[in-house]
Amino acid sequence: MSDTQDIKFNIYNPVITYEHRAAFDLIVSHLQEIFPICNQGKCKALEVSDDPQKQKQINDLMEKVEFFSNSLITITKVFFDQLYRAKQTSSQSISQSTAMIKIDMIERNLLERTCDVRWWALEKAFWQCIILADENPEEVARISKTASRKATKSSSVNSELKNAVQLACTRLEDIRNSYTLYRDLVIVTLDGTVIANSNEERRSTVLGMNVSEEEWFKKALQTKDGTEYFVQDISRSKLEDVESLIYSTALRAGGDEQGEVIGAMGVLFDFQGESQIILNDYLPGDNDSATLDGWFSFFTNDQGRVICSSDEYFIPSGKAADIPRRHWKLDNPGDVLVSTAIVCGNRSLVVSHKSEGFDEYRGLGWTSHLVLPESAMFERSEENEDYGISPQELMNSRLIPDTNKQTYQEIQRNKGDIQLISINGIILATDLGKAGTSFIPIFDQITTTGNSTTGKMEELLSEMSSDMLQQNLKALENFSKQAIDLIDRNLFERAADVRWWSTDHAFWEALQNNKDENFEEASKRLGIINASYTMYRDLVIADSNGRIVANSKSENRDKLKRMNVSEQSWFRQGMQISRSVQFGVQDVCNSDLENEETSLIYCGGILEDGQREGKVLGVLGIFFDWENLAGPILEGCLPRIKNEVVEGGAAFYMNGEREIIASTDSDHFAIGQEVNIPIENLKLEDGESASGIFTDKGRKFIIGSSKTQGYREYTGLGWTAHVVRPID
Amino acid sequence: MGLPIPAILEIGRSINFHPVRGAPEIIDGLINLRGKVVTIINTGLAFEAEKVKSTDESRVYILKNNTELREVADADFDIETSPDNIGIHVDRIADVISVENEDLQTVPANINHPFYKHVVRRGEEFIIILEPQKMLNLNEHQELLS
Repeated sequence: MSDTQDIKFNIYNPVITYEHRAAFDLIVSHLQEIFPICNQGKCKALEVSDDPQKQKQINDLMEKVEFFSNSLITITKVFFDQLYRAKQTSSQSISQSTAMIKIDMIERNLLERTCDVRWWALEKAFWQCIILADENPEEVARISKTASRKATKSSSVNSELKNAVQLACTRLEDIRNSYTLYRDLVIVTLDGTVIANSNEERRSTVLGMNVSEEEWFKKALQTKDGTEYFVQDISRSKLEDVESLIYSTALRAGGDEQGEVIGAMGVLFDFQGESQIILNDYLPGDNDSATLDGWFSFFTNDQGRVICSSDEYFIPSGKAADIPRRHWKLDNPGDVLVSTAIVCGNRSLVVSHKSEGFDEYRGLGWTSHLVLPESAMFERSEENEDYGISPQELMNSRLIPDTNKQTYQEIQRNKGDIQLISINGIILATDLGKAGTSFIPIFDQITTTGNSTTGKMEELLSEMSSDMLQQNLKALENFSKQAIDLIDRNLFERAADVRWWSTDHAFWEALQNNKDENFEEASKRLGIINASYTMYRDLVIADSNGRIVANSKSENRDKLKRMNVSEQSWFRQGMQISRSVQFGVQDVCNSDLENEETSLIYCGGILEDGQREGKVLGVLGIFFDWENLAGPILEGCLPRIKNEVVEGGAAFYMNGEREIIASTDSDHFAIGQEVNIPIENLKLEDGESASGIFTDKGRKFIIGSSKTQGYREYTGLGWTAHVVRPID
Repeated sequence: MGLPIPAILEIGRSINFHPVRGAPEIIDGLINLRGKVVTIINTGLAFEAEKVKSTDESRVYILKNNTELREVADADFDIETSPDNIGIHVDRIADVISVENEDLQTVPANINHPFYKHVVRRGEEFIIILEPQKMLNLNEHQELLS
């Protein structure tokens, strides 16, 4: 039992709820009543018996009762402290993981962006446009003017350059339509003049603009080769009216990664829109789904300035937030800081987590902050669902910290001791015959008080354990939501990739010309794509008859060329496509195209003349190496205590057929298996989460589950994510 | 099941039995009670399928010996125990109840258990009152206990 000196939450602490103060008063006053009763017992002993041995025996018993009452009073004081500490610890760890989830989510998104810009800079339409612009510098100035009157055909501008600019703008638009995460994309000449952009609404403003003073442009020109890029942290740019996050790289002659630098490409990521989605996630809302007062979520940059906030009124972007100064910026990647402080007038818990980046990607040194009212940590959860677990079982489960378990046992023991003392007292009184009967009410009272106080404490402990259960279930729900959100976002990227690649000129040319050298060229192009992105096993093109005519991996070519895929779902979906913004996907299955148990194939339609809308010539299929991606995401969503994964904790995805399609624990939750999880966790609506308790192979688990809600144009495949941990 | 309170010397937790080698199975061991050696017998097999185990809830009833029994003041009962102090090991204790003499009914003839002496009705329940003397007479009913 810890010393009463170390009590952090004593009963006068303002966070202690009214109900708990009342319970404390009740218990302590009952225990205090025992002392006069014992005194009365000692007096009675002198009165009724002359036998000193009997007197001593009764006296001893009374002293024992006093001792246990005292001990229970001490326990009571420590007890509330432990109750609140347990709740605090568990809320803090949940808040920490929420702050971490948010920064992870945005960082992973930014990582994808770094691949994009480098790849796009190789596009022929862009470097050709720059070369023509360099040859006709005097024409470039006029381009911007005609752009503002785009229908003007009588312009005197060199028509070759004009066409090249138009093509570049079209291709940039294609990218923006495929990857809806960008506000704009621009192509800039060596002297800093913007000659093409993707956003038609901004075209008249942006074209002809000189950005030679902007850092993203200067740094892009300094990149050593095609593998390098630059990212300019949130700042002002002439290109936009709002703060921008710009990725840039050099455009090189001939689209060669080692070629001479001839210009630059900049892509403006819709950081604000993306962050808003992430920041507003995991914040509790009221009935009108407005975020509850006192809850804030925001990011700060490496200068400690707010760059995006869930509540621009209380925590505005561009300023330092109203939180303790040492939270503004943390020193090292992965640092976590937790404090209690007054934030926007509320006594709040402030949790900050600095981004760790991923693999070789170091991120921009941003920090994620989560603020919640202190009272929210100690609120009783309103839901009191019956999960079919007894309070006893719950109390002994692994969800309850050891100190609380020890207190529970101590209370149980004291309760037993008081009962024993009372009964032995009654036995003694009986030996005294009629004279002893006056002791009976005294011992009865002792028994009653002992039972009522320990009973009240048991009630509080069982209340605490059910709160802990609720909190843990909520945490697992959050983890499962994170798991499904991350996979949704990743699959969205794949959908964006396939849509963009389907527009590549090498592919539609090959299918239109139907010549071997064109197919070889297409295969080469697929090979380049596959080399730039690590997450694909293979990429294939099938003609309208379902015959495979090109693929990225030469070692598979002979096998694939003999195959006909006209009956396969991805191909049939692809042949239905008539617009370049459409795509198809074949759910995880065992495909004969690759020797893998779990294939996930995305498809896009290759349209005639590379048009945005038109006749489909064939299908591009990309085989996503999805297990290697799903594994680490699931690992990252496992329940942890102090950074260690909880023993027996597991996470897995299930498809619409309720079969496991990826798992962190292939022994207990193997791929292809069905698990006996509660029906509420399977019958979810899109974007919904649930939690519960289930038994699998004799072990009791708690589980949190979430169903896909899709992300942007990717609507999801009806998958669910599940995170479990054993509790016995 | 119940025992008459006057027959009991005291009740304690079931810990610190000293095992006795070669003793019958029904003997859990010996304890030292303020200098007196007390034999503890396990009554589990006499009433249930298995022996009583030591847990947080299990208790030991130490019974008075016949001499101590006679020292009880204002005695108006007819109980015998045994010449020595003997303890019995039980699963748990429930409560102390007071019963008037006229409420003690004889056990129905078809319930033929040598340890049962009376039956008392408490609301919907029946409580069997045991006869300590029979239980403690190890020589006579050993087969019942093992």
